[in-house]
Amino acid sequence: MNKTLKFRIVDIFYLFLIIAPLVAGMVIKVLTEPAAEGIKIAGANIFFTIPFFIQDIVITESQINSWLIIITILGICLYLTHGLKTVPGLKRQHLAEMAVEKVDALVLENMGEMFMGFSPFIAGIMILSALSSLSCLVGMYSPTSDINVTAGWAILVFILITHYKLKGGFGNYLKSFAEPVVILTPMNIISEIATPVSMAFRHYGNVLSGAVISALLGSFLGGLTKKLPGILGQIPFLRAGIPAVLSLYFDIFSGCMQAFIFAMLTMLYVSGGFPGEAYEKRMKRKIERAKKRAEAKARAAADKV
Amino acid sequence: MSLEIQSLDVISVNIWQILISLVNLVLIFLILKKILYKPVRETLKQRQNAVDKIYDDANSARNAAMSEKAEYDEKLSHAHDEATEIVSSARERAQRVGDEIVNDANRRAAQLMKRADDEIAGQRKKAMNEIKDEISGLSVDIAEKVIGREINESDNKSLIDEFISGIGDDNG
Repeated sequence: MNKTLKFRIVDIFYLFLIIAPLVAGMVIKVLTEPAAEGIKIAGANIFFTIPFFIQDIVITESQINSWLIIITILGICLYLTHGLKTVPGLKRQHLAEMAVEKVDALVLENMGEMFMGFSPFIAGIMILSALSSLSCLVGMYSPTSDINVTAGWAILVFILITHYKLKGGFGNYLKSFAEPVVILTPMNIISEIATPVSMAFRHYGNVLSGAVISALLGSFLGGLTKKLPGILGQIPFLRAGIPAVLSLYFDIFSGCMQAFIFAMLTMLYVSGGFPGEAYEKRMKRKIERAKKRAEAKARAAADKV
Repeated sequence: MSLEIQSLDVISVNIWQILISLVNLVLIFLILKKILYKPVRETLKQRQNAVDKIYDDANSARNAAMSEKAEYDEKLSHAHDEATEIVSSARERAQRVGDEIVNDANRRAAQLMKRADDEIAGQRKKAMNEIKDEISGLSVDIAEKVIGREINESDNKSLIDEFISGIGDDNG
Protein backbone atom coordinates (compact mmCIF):
# COMPACT_ATOMS: atom_id res chain seq x y z
CA MET A 1 0.00 0.00 0.00
CA ASN A 2 1.34 3.38 -0.97
CA LYS A 3 1.07 5.88 1.82
CA THR A 4 0.24 9.36 0.69
CA LEU A 5 1.83 12.37 2.32
CA LYS A 6 -1.44 13.25 4.02
CA PHE A 7 -1.70 9.72 5.38
CA ARG A 8 1.82 9.97 6.79
CA ILE A 9 1.16 13.32 8.41
CA VAL A 10 -2.00 12.04 10.09
CA ASP A 11 -0.04 8.96 11.21
CA ILE A 12 2.63 11.12 12.77
CA PHE A 13 -0.05 13.14 14.55
CA TYR A 14 -1.57 9.96 15.99
CA LEU A 15 1.82 8.68 17.09
CA PHE A 16 2.41 12.04 18.72
CA LEU A 17 -0.94 11.62 20.47
CA ILE A 18 0.30 8.29 21.83
CA ILE A 19 3.73 9.37 22.97
CA ALA A 20 3.21 12.99 24.04
CA PRO A 21 1.04 12.23 27.11
CA LEU A 22 3.64 9.79 28.42
CA VAL A 23 6.41 12.34 27.94
CA ALA A 24 4.23 14.98 29.57
CA GLY A 25 3.62 12.65 32.51
CA MET A 26 7.35 12.13 32.92
CA VAL A 27 8.04 15.86 32.73
CA ILE A 28 5.33 16.66 35.27
CA LYS A 29 6.70 14.03 37.61
CA VAL A 30 10.23 15.35 37.35
CA LEU A 31 9.13 18.97 37.88
CA THR A 32 6.84 18.36 40.82
CA GLU A 33 8.50 15.56 42.73
CA PRO A 34 10.00 17.15 45.83
CA ALA A 35 13.56 16.09 46.41
CA ALA A 36 13.54 13.82 49.41
CA GLU A 37 16.05 11.84 51.31
CA GLY A 38 15.23 8.29 52.24
CA ILE A 39 12.04 6.47 51.57
CA LYS A 40 8.82 8.27 50.97
CA ILE A 41 5.76 6.14 50.80
CA ALA A 42 2.78 8.36 50.29
CA GLY A 43 -0.21 8.77 48.03
CA ALA A 44 -0.40 10.85 44.89
CA ASN A 45 0.85 14.42 44.80
CA ILE A 46 -1.93 16.97 44.93
CA PHE A 47 -1.97 19.58 42.17
CA PHE A 48 -5.16 21.52 42.82
CA THR A 49 -7.78 21.55 45.49
CA ILE A 50 -11.13 22.96 44.50
CA PRO A 51 -13.51 23.60 47.39
CA PHE A 52 -16.76 21.81 46.82
CA PHE A 53 -19.62 20.52 48.88
CA ILE A 54 -19.28 17.26 50.84
CA GLN A 55 -15.57 17.05 50.05
CA ASP A 56 -13.07 19.20 48.22
CA ILE A 57 -12.36 18.17 44.66
CA VAL A 58 -8.74 17.13 44.73
CA ILE A 59 -6.91 16.85 41.46
CA THR A 60 -3.87 14.69 42.00
CA GLU A 61 -1.36 12.82 39.93
CA SER A 62 -3.82 9.93 39.64
CA GLN A 63 -6.37 12.03 37.82
CA ILE A 64 -3.86 13.82 35.62
CA ASN A 65 -2.12 10.57 34.72
CA SER A 66 -5.47 8.89 34.03
CA TRP A 67 -6.35 11.62 31.59
CA LEU A 68 -2.95 11.41 29.95
CA ILE A 69 -3.40 7.66 29.58
CA ILE A 70 -6.86 8.18 28.11
CA ILE A 71 -5.31 10.46 25.50
CA THR A 72 -2.71 7.75 24.78
CA ILE A 73 -5.44 5.15 24.34
CA LEU A 74 -7.34 7.52 22.07
CA GLY A 75 -4.15 7.87 20.01
CA ILE A 76 -3.68 4.10 19.90
CA CYS A 77 -7.26 3.57 18.72
CA LEU A 78 -6.96 6.26 16.06
CA TYR A 79 -3.62 4.90 14.90
CA LEU A 80 -4.81 1.31 14.70
CA THR A 81 -7.98 2.13 12.80
CA HIS A 82 -6.28 4.57 10.45
CA GLY A 83 -6.45 3.19 6.92
CA LEU A 84 -8.72 0.22 7.53
CA LYS A 85 -9.51 -1.62 4.31
CA THR A 86 -11.64 -4.58 3.35
CA VAL A 87 -8.48 -6.17 2.06
CA PRO A 88 -5.92 -5.47 4.77
CA GLY A 89 -3.02 -3.39 3.56
CA LEU A 90 -1.36 -2.44 6.83
CA LYS A 91 0.05 -4.54 9.64
CA ARG A 92 -1.73 -2.43 12.22
CA GLN A 93 -5.07 -3.51 10.79
CA HIS A 94 -4.27 -7.10 11.68
CA LEU A 95 -3.44 -5.94 15.19
CA ALA A 96 -6.71 -4.01 15.51
CA GLU A 97 -8.76 -6.91 14.16
CA MET A 98 -6.92 -9.39 16.35
CA ALA A 99 -7.53 -7.27 19.46
CA VAL A 100 -11.22 -6.90 18.71
CA GLU A 101 -11.67 -10.57 17.85
CA LYS A 102 -9.74 -11.80 20.90
CA VAL A 103 -11.77 -9.67 23.30
CA ASP A 104 -14.96 -10.67 21.49
CA ALA A 105 -14.06 -14.34 21.88
CA LEU A 106 -13.25 -13.83 25.56
CA VAL A 107 -16.56 -12.08 26.21
CA LEU A 108 -18.48 -14.69 24.24
CA GLU A 109 -16.83 -17.47 26.20
CA ASN A 110 -17.37 -15.94 29.62
CA MET A 111 -20.61 -14.02 29.25
CA GLY A 112 -22.53 -15.43 26.32
CA GLU A 113 -24.17 -14.05 23.21
CA MET A 114 -26.45 -11.62 25.05
CA PHE A 115 -23.57 -9.63 26.56
CA MET A 116 -21.59 -9.02 23.37
CA GLY A 117 -22.13 -5.29 23.90
CA PHE A 118 -19.78 -5.60 26.86
CA SER A 119 -16.83 -6.29 24.60
CA PRO A 120 -15.64 -2.65 24.32
CA PHE A 121 -16.18 -2.18 28.05
CA ILE A 122 -14.07 -5.21 28.91
CA ALA A 123 -11.40 -4.11 26.46
CA GLY A 124 -11.55 -0.65 28.04
CA ILE A 125 -11.05 -2.03 31.55
CA MET A 126 -8.15 -4.14 30.36
CA ILE A 127 -6.26 -1.46 28.48
CA LEU A 128 -6.93 1.34 30.97
CA SER A 129 -5.92 -0.79 33.91
CA ALA A 130 -2.89 -2.26 32.18
CA LEU A 131 -1.61 1.06 30.89
CA SER A 132 -2.26 2.71 34.26
CA SER A 133 -0.22 0.05 36.01
CA LEU A 134 2.50 0.09 33.36
CA SER A 135 2.77 3.88 33.40
CA CYS A 136 5.10 3.54 36.40
CA LEU A 137 7.66 2.16 33.92
CA VAL A 138 8.16 5.68 32.55
CA GLY A 139 8.31 7.10 36.06
CA MET A 140 4.72 8.24 36.31
CA TYR A 141 2.65 7.61 39.38
CA SER A 142 0.39 4.63 38.62
CA PRO A 143 -3.22 5.75 38.88
CA THR A 144 -4.11 2.21 39.88
CA SER A 145 -2.09 2.53 43.08
CA ASP A 146 -4.68 5.08 44.19
CA ILE A 147 -7.67 3.46 45.90
CA ASN A 148 -10.03 6.10 44.50
CA VAL A 149 -9.33 5.11 40.91
CA THR A 150 -9.94 1.40 41.32
CA ALA A 151 -12.89 2.15 43.60
CA GLY A 152 -14.47 4.20 40.82
CA TRP A 153 -14.14 1.29 38.40
CA ALA A 154 -15.41 -1.21 40.95
CA ILE A 155 -18.44 0.98 41.66
CA LEU A 156 -19.20 1.20 37.96
CA VAL A 157 -18.97 -2.59 37.75
CA PHE A 158 -21.22 -2.85 40.82
CA ILE A 159 -23.77 -0.59 39.15
CA LEU A 160 -23.69 -2.84 36.07
CA ILE A 161 -24.06 -5.99 38.18
CA THR A 162 -27.06 -4.53 39.99
CA HIS A 163 -28.56 -3.23 36.75
CA TYR A 164 -28.47 -6.70 35.22
CA LYS A 165 -29.74 -8.32 38.41
CA LEU A 166 -32.69 -5.95 38.40
CA LYS A 167 -33.61 -7.10 34.89
CA GLY A 168 -35.20 -10.14 36.51
CA GLY A 169 -37.61 -7.85 38.38
CA PHE A 170 -37.20 -5.95 41.64
CA GLY A 171 -38.98 -8.64 43.69
CA ASN A 172 -36.70 -11.26 42.24
CA TYR A 173 -33.71 -9.12 43.16
CA LEU A 174 -34.83 -8.76 46.79
CA LYS A 175 -35.69 -12.45 47.00
CA SER A 176 -32.21 -13.43 45.81
CA PHE A 177 -30.80 -12.06 49.08
CA ALA A 178 -32.85 -14.51 51.13
CA GLU A 179 -31.52 -17.54 49.36
CA PRO A 180 -30.95 -20.33 50.04
CA VAL A 181 -32.33 -19.66 53.55
CA VAL A 182 -33.63 -16.48 55.12
CA ILE A 183 -31.07 -16.51 57.91
CA LEU A 184 -28.28 -15.94 55.41
CA THR A 185 -29.69 -12.57 54.32
CA PRO A 186 -27.10 -10.46 56.19
CA MET A 187 -24.34 -12.60 54.77
CA ASN A 188 -25.70 -12.16 51.27
CA ILE A 189 -25.88 -8.40 51.70
CA ILE A 190 -22.31 -8.32 52.98
CA SER A 191 -21.07 -10.47 50.10
CA GLU A 192 -22.91 -8.21 47.65
CA ILE A 193 -21.14 -5.16 49.04
CA ALA A 194 -17.88 -7.06 49.34
CA THR A 195 -17.79 -7.63 45.60
CA PRO A 196 -16.84 -4.07 44.57
CA VAL A 197 -14.79 -3.50 47.70
CA SER A 198 -12.70 -6.61 47.12
CA MET A 199 -12.27 -5.76 43.45
CA ALA A 200 -11.09 -2.26 44.25
CA PHE A 201 -8.76 -3.29 47.06
CA ARG A 202 -7.31 -6.26 45.22
CA HIS A 203 -6.24 -4.18 42.26
CA TYR A 204 -5.08 -1.19 44.26
CA GLY A 205 -3.25 -3.33 46.82
CA ASN A 206 -1.36 -5.32 44.24
CA VAL A 207 -0.08 -2.30 42.38
CA LEU A 208 0.69 -0.26 45.50
CA SER A 209 2.47 -3.12 47.22
CA GLY A 210 4.63 -3.58 44.15
CA ALA A 211 5.53 0.11 44.22
CA VAL A 212 6.24 -0.01 47.96
CA ILE A 213 8.45 -3.07 47.67
CA SER A 214 10.33 -1.51 44.75
CA ALA A 215 10.88 1.66 46.78
CA LEU A 216 12.03 -0.31 49.81
CA LEU A 217 14.41 -2.44 47.80
CA GLY A 218 15.81 0.56 45.96
CA SER A 219 16.42 2.39 49.19
CA PHE A 220 17.93 -0.71 50.76
CA LEU A 221 20.34 -1.24 47.88
CA GLY A 222 21.22 2.46 47.88
CA GLY A 223 22.00 2.27 51.57
CA LEU A 224 24.00 -0.90 51.05
CA THR A 225 26.32 0.73 48.51
CA LYS A 226 26.98 3.62 50.88
CA LYS A 227 28.49 1.17 53.33
CA LEU A 228 31.06 0.05 50.77
CA PRO A 229 34.56 1.53 51.19
CA GLY A 230 36.13 4.19 48.98
CA ILE A 231 34.79 5.18 45.59
CA LEU A 232 32.53 2.16 45.49
CA GLY A 233 30.38 3.80 48.14
CA GLN A 234 29.98 6.99 46.14
CA ILE A 235 27.94 5.50 43.32
CA PRO A 236 24.84 3.50 44.24
CA PHE A 237 25.57 0.97 41.49
CA LEU A 238 23.70 -1.85 43.24
CA ARG A 239 20.48 0.02 42.58
CA ALA A 240 21.09 -0.26 38.85
CA GLY A 241 20.10 -3.79 37.90
CA ILE A 242 18.57 -5.72 40.72
CA PRO A 243 15.32 -3.74 41.17
CA ALA A 244 14.63 -4.28 37.47
CA VAL A 245 14.09 -7.98 38.11
CA LEU A 246 11.50 -7.26 40.76
CA SER A 247 10.00 -4.57 38.55
CA LEU A 248 9.51 -7.23 35.89
CA TYR A 249 7.21 -9.06 38.26
CA PHE A 250 5.57 -6.24 40.22
CA ASP A 251 5.15 -3.69 37.47
CA ILE A 252 4.76 -5.65 34.25
CA PHE A 253 3.45 -9.08 35.22
CA SER A 254 1.35 -7.98 38.17
CA GLY A 255 0.03 -4.95 36.31
CA CYS A 256 -1.15 -7.00 33.32
CA MET A 257 -2.39 -9.78 35.59
CA GLN A 258 -4.50 -7.44 37.68
CA ALA A 259 -5.96 -5.86 34.56
CA PHE A 260 -6.94 -9.31 33.29
CA ILE A 261 -8.31 -10.34 36.70
CA PHE A 262 -10.38 -7.17 36.98
CA ALA A 263 -11.82 -7.76 33.50
CA MET A 264 -12.49 -11.45 34.19
CA LEU A 265 -14.22 -10.67 37.49
CA THR A 266 -16.34 -8.02 35.80
CA MET A 267 -17.46 -10.53 33.18
CA LEU A 268 -18.14 -13.27 35.69
CA TYR A 269 -20.02 -11.08 38.16
CA VAL A 270 -22.18 -9.37 35.54
CA SER A 271 -23.12 -12.51 33.63
CA GLY A 272 -23.23 -14.66 36.78
CA GLY A 273 -25.57 -12.33 38.61
CA PHE A 274 -27.92 -12.04 35.65
CA PRO A 275 -31.08 -14.04 36.38
CA GLY A 276 -31.68 -15.48 32.91
CA GLU A 277 -34.80 -17.53 33.63
CA ALA A 278 -36.53 -14.82 35.64
CA TYR A 279 -35.69 -12.31 32.91
CA GLU A 280 -37.22 -14.53 30.24
CA LYS A 281 -40.36 -15.10 32.30
CA ARG A 282 -40.68 -11.39 32.90
CA MET A 283 -40.24 -10.64 29.21
CA LYS A 284 -42.90 -13.19 28.30
CA ARG A 285 -45.29 -11.72 30.83
CA LYS A 286 -44.57 -8.25 29.52
CA ILE A 287 -45.29 -9.32 25.95
CA GLU A 288 -48.53 -11.01 26.99
CA ARG A 289 -49.61 -7.97 28.94
CA ALA A 290 -48.85 -5.74 25.97
CA LYS A 291 -50.87 -8.09 23.75
CA LYS A 292 -53.82 -8.02 26.16
CA ARG A 293 -53.68 -4.28 26.37
CA ALA A 294 -53.65 -4.00 22.59
CA GLU A 295 -56.61 -6.37 22.36
CA ALA A 296 -58.53 -4.39 24.97
CA LYS A 297 -57.79 -1.21 23.12
CA ALA A 298 -58.97 -2.74 19.85
CA ARG A 299 -62.15 -3.97 21.54
CA ALA A 300 -62.81 -0.56 23.05
CA ALA A 301 -62.33 1.04 19.67
CA ALA A 302 -64.73 -1.50 18.12
CA ASP A 303 -67.33 -0.78 20.86
CA LYS A 304 -67.10 2.90 20.19
CA VAL A 305 -67.71 2.37 16.49
CA MET B 1 11.46 24.74 42.04
CA SER B 2 10.41 25.38 45.57
CA LEU B 3 6.80 24.39 44.99
CA GLU B 4 5.24 23.07 48.14
CA ILE B 5 3.68 19.87 46.85
CA GLN B 6 1.32 18.15 49.21
CA SER B 7 0.55 14.50 48.77
CA LEU B 8 -2.32 12.33 49.80
CA ASP B 9 -2.08 9.64 52.40
CA VAL B 10 -1.61 6.14 51.08
CA ILE B 11 -5.26 5.46 51.74
CA SER B 12 -7.51 8.46 51.39
CA VAL B 13 -10.97 8.28 49.99
CA ASN B 14 -12.40 11.16 48.03
CA ILE B 15 -15.82 10.88 46.42
CA TRP B 16 -14.97 13.20 43.56
CA GLN B 17 -11.85 11.31 42.72
CA ILE B 18 -13.90 8.11 42.65
CA LEU B 19 -16.45 9.80 40.41
CA ILE B 20 -13.76 11.13 38.09
CA SER B 21 -12.28 7.65 37.77
CA LEU B 22 -15.74 6.20 37.07
CA VAL B 23 -16.34 8.76 34.34
CA ASN B 24 -12.88 8.02 32.94
CA LEU B 25 -13.79 4.36 32.52
CA VAL B 26 -17.04 5.29 30.79
CA LEU B 27 -15.04 7.62 28.55
CA ILE B 28 -12.61 4.84 27.64
CA PHE B 29 -15.56 2.56 26.89
CA LEU B 30 -17.03 5.14 24.53
CA ILE B 31 -13.66 5.79 22.87
CA LEU B 32 -13.07 2.10 22.25
CA LYS B 33 -16.61 1.55 21.05
CA LYS B 34 -16.71 4.45 18.61
CA ILE B 35 -13.12 4.62 17.44
CA LEU B 36 -11.86 1.04 17.59
CA TYR B 37 -14.80 -1.36 17.57
CA LYS B 38 -17.14 0.36 15.15
CA PRO B 39 -14.71 0.71 12.21
CA VAL B 40 -13.14 -2.69 12.80
CA ARG B 41 -16.53 -4.42 12.99
CA GLU B 42 -17.65 -2.60 9.86
CA THR B 43 -14.52 -3.66 8.02
CA LEU B 44 -14.94 -7.26 9.14
CA LYS B 45 -18.56 -7.21 8.07
CA GLN B 46 -17.67 -5.78 4.67
CA ARG B 47 -15.01 -8.42 4.24
CA GLN B 48 -17.48 -11.12 5.24
CA ASN B 49 -19.94 -9.78 2.69
CA ALA B 50 -17.26 -9.70 0.01
CA VAL B 51 -16.21 -13.26 0.81
CA ASP B 52 -19.83 -14.41 0.83
CA LYS B 53 -20.35 -12.77 -2.52
CA ILE B 54 -17.30 -14.47 -3.97
CA TYR B 55 -18.51 -17.81 -2.67
CA ASP B 56 -21.96 -17.22 -4.07
CA ASP B 57 -20.50 -16.30 -7.43
CA ALA B 58 -18.31 -19.39 -7.43
CA ASN B 59 -21.25 -21.59 -6.48
CA SER B 60 -23.50 -20.18 -9.16
CA ALA B 61 -20.71 -20.47 -11.71
CA ARG B 62 -20.17 -24.08 -10.73
CA ASN B 63 -23.89 -24.80 -10.93
CA ALA B 64 -24.04 -23.22 -14.37
CA ALA B 65 -21.05 -25.27 -15.47
CA MET B 66 -22.63 -28.44 -14.10
CA SER B 67 -25.92 -27.84 -15.90
CA GLU B 68 -24.05 -27.02 -19.09
CA LYS B 69 -22.04 -30.20 -18.73
CA ALA B 70 -25.22 -32.22 -18.26
CA GLU B 71 -26.64 -30.60 -21.36
CA TYR B 72 -23.50 -31.44 -23.32
CA ASP B 73 -23.54 -34.99 -22.05
CA GLU B 74 -27.10 -35.36 -23.19
CA LYS B 75 -26.25 -33.86 -26.53
CA LEU B 76 -23.27 -36.13 -26.85
CA SER B 77 -25.29 -39.28 -26.16
CA HIS B 78 -27.87 -38.00 -28.66
CA ALA B 79 -25.13 -37.54 -31.19
CA HIS B 80 -23.97 -41.11 -30.61
CA ASP B 81 -27.46 -42.43 -31.24
CA GLU B 82 -27.80 -40.25 -34.27
CA ALA B 83 -24.47 -41.39 -35.63
CA THR B 84 -25.41 -45.04 -35.18
CA GLU B 85 -28.70 -44.41 -36.89
CA ILE B 86 -27.04 -42.60 -39.74
CA VAL B 87 -24.49 -45.34 -40.20
CA SER B 88 -27.11 -48.09 -40.11
CA SER B 89 -29.39 -46.28 -42.52
CA ALA B 90 -26.48 -45.57 -44.82
CA ARG B 91 -25.49 -49.19 -44.71
CA GLU B 92 -29.04 -50.25 -45.48
CA ARG B 93 -29.25 -47.89 -48.37
CA ALA B 94 -25.88 -48.96 -49.66
CA GLN B 95 -27.05 -52.55 -49.44
CA ARG B 96 -30.16 -51.71 -51.32
CA VAL B 97 -28.36 -49.73 -53.96
CA GLY B 98 -25.76 -52.45 -54.32
CA ASP B 99 -28.46 -55.10 -54.70
CA GLU B 100 -30.16 -52.96 -57.28
CA ILE B 101 -26.97 -52.49 -59.22
CA VAL B 102 -26.22 -56.21 -59.15
CA ASN B 103 -29.77 -57.08 -60.21
CA ASP B 104 -29.63 -54.54 -62.96
CA ALA B 105 -26.33 -55.88 -64.17
CA ASN B 106 -27.66 -59.41 -64.09
CA ARG B 107 -30.71 -58.43 -66.01
CA ARG B 108 -28.68 -56.51 -68.55
CA ALA B 109 -26.29 -59.39 -68.91
CA ALA B 110 -29.18 -61.75 -69.46
CA GLN B 111 -30.58 -59.40 -72.03
CA LEU B 112 -27.25 -59.13 -73.77
CA MET B 113 -26.90 -62.88 -73.78
CA LYS B 114 -30.33 -63.31 -75.19
CA ARG B 115 -29.71 -60.78 -77.91
CA ALA B 116 -26.42 -62.43 -78.74
CA ASP B 117 -28.14 -65.81 -78.90
CA ASP B 118 -30.83 -64.35 -81.14
CA GLU B 119 -28.24 -62.84 -83.39
CA ILE B 120 -26.35 -66.05 -83.50
CA ALA B 121 -29.51 -67.90 -84.37
CA GLY B 122 -30.37 -65.34 -87.08
CA GLN B 123 -26.89 -65.53 -88.54
CA ARG B 124 -27.03 -69.25 -88.52
CA LYS B 125 -30.37 -69.28 -90.23
CA LYS B 126 -29.11 -66.84 -92.79
CA ALA B 127 -25.97 -68.87 -93.36
CA MET B 128 -28.13 -71.98 -93.64
CA ASN B 129 -30.30 -70.32 -96.26
CA GLU B 130 -27.27 -69.18 -98.21
CA ILE B 131 -25.84 -72.64 -98.03
CA LYS B 132 -29.18 -74.06 -99.12
CA ASP B 133 -29.32 -71.68 -102.05
CA GLU B 134 -25.79 -72.58 -103.05
CA ILE B 135 -26.41 -76.25 -102.66
CA SER B 136 -29.59 -76.06 -104.66
CA GLY B 137 -27.77 -74.05 -107.37
CA LEU B 138 -24.94 -76.58 -107.35
CA SER B 139 -27.35 -79.48 -107.49
CA VAL B 140 -29.11 -77.94 -110.46
CA ASP B 141 -25.77 -77.40 -112.17
CA ILE B 142 -24.72 -80.94 -111.35
CA ALA B 143 -28.01 -82.35 -112.53
CA GLU B 144 -27.75 -80.36 -115.80
CA LYS B 145 -24.33 -81.75 -116.37
CA VAL B 146 -25.48 -85.25 -115.47
CA ILE B 147 -28.63 -85.24 -117.46
CA GLY B 148 -27.27 -83.07 -120.19
CA ARG B 149 -30.28 -81.27 -120.84
CA GLU B 150 -32.02 -78.18 -119.91
CA ILE B 151 -34.73 -78.69 -117.51
CA ASN B 152 -37.04 -76.27 -116.12
CA GLU B 153 -34.75 -74.70 -113.71
CA SER B 154 -37.42 -73.08 -111.59
CA ASP B 155 -39.27 -76.36 -111.14
CA ASN B 156 -36.15 -78.15 -110.16
CA LYS B 157 -35.09 -75.48 -107.89
CA SER B 158 -38.28 -75.54 -105.90
CA LEU B 159 -37.98 -79.31 -105.77
CA ILE B 160 -34.45 -79.18 -104.43
CA ASP B 161 -35.26 -76.40 -102.00
CA GLU B 162 -37.94 -78.57 -100.53
CA PHE B 163 -35.53 -81.37 -100.20
CA ILE B 164 -32.76 -79.29 -98.61
CA SER B 165 -35.06 -77.57 -96.22
CA GLY B 166 -36.00 -81.03 -95.12
CA ILE B 167 -32.31 -81.74 -94.44
CA GLY B 168 -31.75 -78.36 -92.78
CA ASP B 169 -34.69 -78.92 -90.54
CA ASP B 170 -33.28 -82.20 -89.51
CA ASN B 171 -29.93 -80.60 -88.81
CA GLY B 172 -31.25 -77.37 -87.33
